[in-house]
Amino acid sequence: MDEGWEEVVDLAGAGVDVDPRSITRPHDSLLTYYILVSAATLVAFPFVFIPAYIRFKTLRYRFDDEGVSMSWGLLFHKEVYLTYRRLQDIHVTRNLVERWMGLAKVPIQTASGTSGATMTIVGIRHPEPLRDFLYERMRGARAESAGEGPGPADEDEVVTLLRQIRDALRAARLDREQQA
Amino acid sequence: MSRRSEQATAWVYRGIWKVLSDWFRVPGHPPTLPVADGEFLLSFHPSRRYLSYLKLFFWIACVGVDIAILVGWIAVFAANPPLGLVLAVPALAVALLPDIVAYVAIHLRYDTMWYVMTDRSLRCRRGIWTILEHTITFENVQNVHVLRGPVQYLFGISTIVIETAGAAEGHEQNAFAVGNKAIMEGIDNPEEIRRVILERVRRSKSAGLGDERSASAPASPGWIPQQLRALRQVLEAVRALG
Repeated sequence: MDEGWEEVVDLAGAGVDVDPRSITRPHDSLLTYYILVSAATLVAFPFVFIPAYIRFKTLRYRFDDEGVSMSWGLLFHKEVYLTYRRLQDIHVTRNLVERWMGLAKVPIQTASGTSGATMTIVGIRHPEPLRDFLYERMRGARAESAGEGPGPADEDEVVTLLRQIRDALRAARLDREQQA
Repeated sequence: MSRRSEQATAWVYRGIWKVLSDWFRVPGHPPTLPVADGEFLLSFHPSRRYLSYLKLFFWIACVGVDIAILVGWIAVFAANPPLGLVLAVPALAVALLPDIVAYVAIHLRYDTMWYVMTDRSLRCRRGIWTILEHTITFENVQNVHVLRGPVQYLFGISTIVIETAGAAEGHEQNAFAVGNKAIMEGIDNPEEIRRVILERVRRSKSAGLGDERSASAPASPGWIPQQLRALRQVLEAVRALG
């Protein structure tokens, strides 16, 4: 591992600060990618490309405070919504062509029993900020999530404090009685 | 291997890596995970023994294919010596080139496999053509399997499969791309890793199904820091009275 490689291997986006909440559409280069993929199927080009084109044109994302929604389809409309808290697995996959174009797929999973991803976020130009955004909102990624309730040490401290308050009150009362 | 040839090998390998990272955009650095202060972050490759394990299969396949090519060539040479001589160079190339490519590929495969563990989560990354990355938090873990076959036993390595809810049997190949299980291959201390993960799972009070905090810890008898702070303030106020 040499120094200097990191810059080269910047994977078209690491270090670029993009707020994932501003993502509403897949990046335009996704269409180029679909054209390339469809072209690779030769004669099947129209059959592969037309659904992909419709999908690209109708794809919408909405990242809100609680979850993410993804919708697509013209005749058969489909919308998937999932909450960040229910996220279990975040994948990032990039094949060679996608890497050359700076694209990535982010398949994310909840506990549903499907073998595929619950939602595959496609056409993402900078997957790292999005991945970190999702990760931070996942359960267990930060200390305040469930499982780290108050411990016995806290209760000891509470008892000590209450005793000190009691003693201080008694002392204050004694003072008053002596003054009176 | 002499020092000089070792250096040459390392140089060639670095060259291959440079091509991979420049043209094929394979990241040469390990993945990272955000960590809070005082938490550990481990980033590691599979065990070196996993490399030997991969190489064993490589040598078996390599010897098998090369013997087949050699036998074929001897048959041609016996039947028709001039043709055999003409075919000697192509046969040698067909025998050796895939071996070299496969050998380098094994090293690259090994070097692109990364596991990053923190107190809270695990991230695995692997792949050269398609780079696959998988992140899970231990809070969501349901089961941890340690798998070990006879050959893996000889090498003292195991595969750890960490499942979150919804993981299905099968889909092993697909699991890295999409799926509810993280697979760590070539681990030589599976007990240690399983202990760390299960300890974390045990400490968690939820079922690992996305329960909100309020649902998982209802009306906890403990005290939250704000209450403690208020109590201290009460104490100060009372003391000021006296």
